[in-house]
Amino acid sequence: MLLQLNNISKWVQSGGQKIYLLKDINFWVHDGDFISIMGPSGSGKSTLLNVIGMLDDFNEGEYTFLDESVHKLKEKHRANLYKQYIGFVFQSYHLIDELTVRENLEMPLLYKKQSSSERRALVADMLDRFNIVGKKDLFPSQLSGGQQQLVGIARALIANPKLILADEPTGNLNSKQGEEIMEIFKELNNEGVTIIQVTHSEKNAAYGSRVINLLDGSIQ
Amino acid sequence: MFKNYIKIAWRNLLKNKVSTIINSIGLSIGISACILILIFVTYESSFDDYHTNASRTYRVVQHNKLPDQTLYWNTTAYPLAEALRNDFPDIDMVTQTAGPMSREFSIQDQERDVSRFEESEVLFADAYYLRTFDTKWLAGNPDTALNDLNSIVLTQTLVEKYFPKDQDNLQSIMGKTILLQGKDPLKITGVVKDPPPNSNQRYSLLIPYEFFKVNNTFFANNWSGNYQGTTFVVLQNKDQRKLLESKITTWKKKYLKPEDDARISYALQPLQEIHNETLYGSSPRGYIIPTHILYTALLVALFILIIAIVNFVNLITAQSVSRSKEVGIRKALGSKRLDIVIQFLIENGMMIIITLISSILIVHVLIHQLNSHLSIINLKLEFGIKDIGIIIAIGTFTILLAAIYPAIVLSAFKPVQALKNKIRIRKTGAFNFRRSLIVFQFIIVQIFVIAAIIVAFQMDYFKNEPKGFSSSAVITTSVPNHSKLDVFKNILLENTSITDVAYGSGPPMAVNGFQLGTSFRLPEQNIQEAKDAEMKVAGTNYLKFYDLKLIAGRNFTTNKEAFDEFIVNETLVKSYNWTPAEAIGKKIEINEGQATIVGVVKDYHNNSFQYEITPCILLNWSFYHNQAFIKINDPNPEALASLEKTWKNTFPNAVYDYHFLDDAIEKEYVVEGMIYKGFTLFSILAISIGCLGLFGLMSFIISRKKKEIGLRKVLGANVAQIISFFSKEFIQIVVLAFVLAVPFVYYMMNLWLEGFTYRITISIWMFLGGGVLTLFIALVTCSFQSIKAAFSNPINALREE
Repeated sequence: MLLQLNNISKWVQSGGQKIYLLKDINFWVHDGDFISIMGPSGSGKSTLLNVIGMLDDFNEGEYTFLDESVHKLKEKHRANLYKQYIGFVFQSYHLIDELTVRENLEMPLLYKKQSSSERRALVADMLDRFNIVGKKDLFPSQLSGGQQQLVGIARALIANPKLILADEPTGNLNSKQGEEIMEIFKELNNEGVTIIQVTHSEKNAAYGSRVINLLDGSIQ
Repeated sequence: MFKNYIKIAWRNLLKNKVSTIINSIGLSIGISACILILIFVTYESSFDDYHTNASRTYRVVQHNKLPDQTLYWNTTAYPLAEALRNDFPDIDMVTQTAGPMSREFSIQDQERDVSRFEESEVLFADAYYLRTFDTKWLAGNPDTALNDLNSIVLTQTLVEKYFPKDQDNLQSIMGKTILLQGKDPLKITGVVKDPPPNSNQRYSLLIPYEFFKVNNTFFANNWSGNYQGTTFVVLQNKDQRKLLESKITTWKKKYLKPEDDARISYALQPLQEIHNETLYGSSPRGYIIPTHILYTALLVALFILIIAIVNFVNLITAQSVSRSKEVGIRKALGSKRLDIVIQFLIENGMMIIITLISSILIVHVLIHQLNSHLSIINLKLEFGIKDIGIIIAIGTFTILLAAIYPAIVLSAFKPVQALKNKIRIRKTGAFNFRRSLIVFQFIIVQIFVIAAIIVAFQMDYFKNEPKGFSSSAVITTSVPNHSKLDVFKNILLENTSITDVAYGSGPPMAVNGFQLGTSFRLPEQNIQEAKDAEMKVAGTNYLKFYDLKLIAGRNFTTNKEAFDEFIVNETLVKSYNWTPAEAIGKKIEINEGQATIVGVVKDYHNNSFQYEITPCILLNWSFYHNQAFIKINDPNPEALASLEKTWKNTFPNAVYDYHFLDDAIEKEYVVEGMIYKGFTLFSILAISIGCLGLFGLMSFIISRKKKEIGLRKVLGANVAQIISFFSKEFIQIVVLAFVLAVPFVYYMMNLWLEGFTYRITISIWMFLGGGVLTLFIALVTCSFQSIKAAFSNPINALREE
């Protein structure tokens, strides 16, 4: 078992009333799963993903990640945990505009305090693997959306995470680029990486092994 | 990691060129101003610190108690030093100087050509002087140089002037002879470096005090009067001061006449306090910067730096929103908060250091400008390695304040919100942080602007308020030979551009601190009841020349060897409660003798406007007619040249020198003029920094509100409405700052004006004028961008995202 959510709820107070963003979520993920979270806008997909990624906290319930109780951990421990095991892929890529492709890839490694030779080797591997060696000195604005997302995925993978969280990874791409990205996810999954993606598209969801439908913060 | 930070910092600075430039200009203006002021303050408070004995050297000052007031003099009677030396063997050293005063020198070269020079900083000093004050010797023996009566020690500048060919071979001029006042040969016994500018010991050459003593037996042996003699003592230690002062109190009656003993008391003033203490006035040829002005300058420096820093912080945090995404990504990818803090510290620190370097360049250039602008006080500021401390201090202060705050704000962003661009500047009513900073900035701006306006009015008052006499187009020159006065006047009047000539001891208003002092009493009063008065020797044409109005009696008809007539001013008449008419025919006694009042002149300003009009007595004395006053129609170079020619033909063996009276009067307001220049400069600086800040903030707000502007336009707002929508907030800020600044400025400026006897009254218009001016400038600054925004196509704004 990679992670498990038990009765997770998250709400905001509005005029004395609780508005639930997530309600009573029970959810588990095994190593090697490829899960798609679906649901209409505002149903809580991204919130759920952020909770899983430990970027957001929750009000109630228990969250266990690799046998650690996330809800009991201090901020610092939690950060260490996700730093080590989770990679993020965003809809709008979120590359740092002022850094080149190579430097963007290198950044997560900097925060893991790896030596520069190790970093260089890992970055070179990633550039190779995604066929973007020729683009290594370009800035994000010089790349197409598909290429940027490729860099985004490479960056998520570089620290060798167990779990990739992808929030509508193809949302800003055209269908051909989107297909390519999904193929890459498929491949990664075959190599043993666990993936959770949020998506609107039935077609993309079909790449996954399991689909979870959310509506108004609850799993249907 | 570090490299990565530097890289991203550099790219960011380049990417936001406009804001980077605005930011660094604002900050470097502030830092440069601050460095300059600190250099100025260190300089002005370092006077005479460099002497080895500085901390235990004291100037003997004299308190002169009169019936109605006490006068504080920095000069003492000439015999004092010798008496102290003889009677107090436990004082390490006592030295006496006379001057600095003006003397004329002539040098004959091999071709028997004689060149004449007038030197205004001739100091007569005894041999102890060279041991009391550190002097750098380039030639000659300091131990013996002043021993011989007829010796002279030149400064380097004078060697360059007198012996340009021998500058590099100083030994060759040793022993040469210079003629003093055309008669006394003096042998060169030494060459010294010029005293540094930050010293109140001013001299261009030294002559043994003994020489002065032998040639001025009356002055040099007189205990009652006070004629430009200064006495310094070097004590064994600081504790000796109080003891010595009290001993002197009982000792002085040994030398002073009983009436002088009652009137005169002595005190010791530490050498290092001389330059910043106003009580005793400036020493001859020196000037004073009072401590409170130095403190004000420091305060101004701090204010300027703070508004520059506030500006910087403001712009950086404003831009932070555009950096929030990056912070979000970094945090999501595993960065700790501390990493982000360090990153922004490096980034802003880098910018501050670049700014600091550019400020150093600016200061390097400006310091010479400043020196030449303040040449009137002989300022020679230098900028060098010694100021490294100042720069490090300012740099650290700036980095601490300007870099840490934004770093902490930025690093606090929560990743999820940051990624969604949901970070918003908190809006908590009127009192959010950034707004209060701008209000604070504008309070300082308003203080400077209003203060500058009030000082300007007072300066205008000094310049244009009727002085009670006419001074325009009047040239003053000295007249060395009394027997030629009539001839000189007749030749001058043949020149059509010269309309009038008069003689006297000085112009109606005291200039260059020169005034003849005396005391007056009725013949039946005893000397203790005498009051202080100014004595002015005036030719028969003096009243007409200066347009002085007689309100009773008549003018002098002739000048006499022994004076017998006085014309007095209203203030003197009032001190006896007479009417002007009653005063006519009364006899009064002054130090120099007795005479009858024949006229009463309407009060005119015999002192500059800082001071009150004092009792004044004009005498028909032919003695002391040593200045000529010449009224010239059109002071063009030709007329001036012809005047010079006439003068030199009449007085062939003297050095010609002239002044415009108006210029000389203006010099009486040097300190006020400096304050005016300072406030004007700093209000311009403060406004520029403030407006840079507004400009930066405005561009930020507009870029944030692009969508809102677009929406408003789509919904029907016109250009004017959009501009006013943006301007409203800034008007509020400026008005609020104005209201907060007014009481402070009012208090400060009232305090300043109270220092002048004759002054303007502060009116509400001066404040409103300052407020409106600032508001106008702020509005113009803001409107550039709001107008641009208002005219932009709304579709472009709405299509984004």
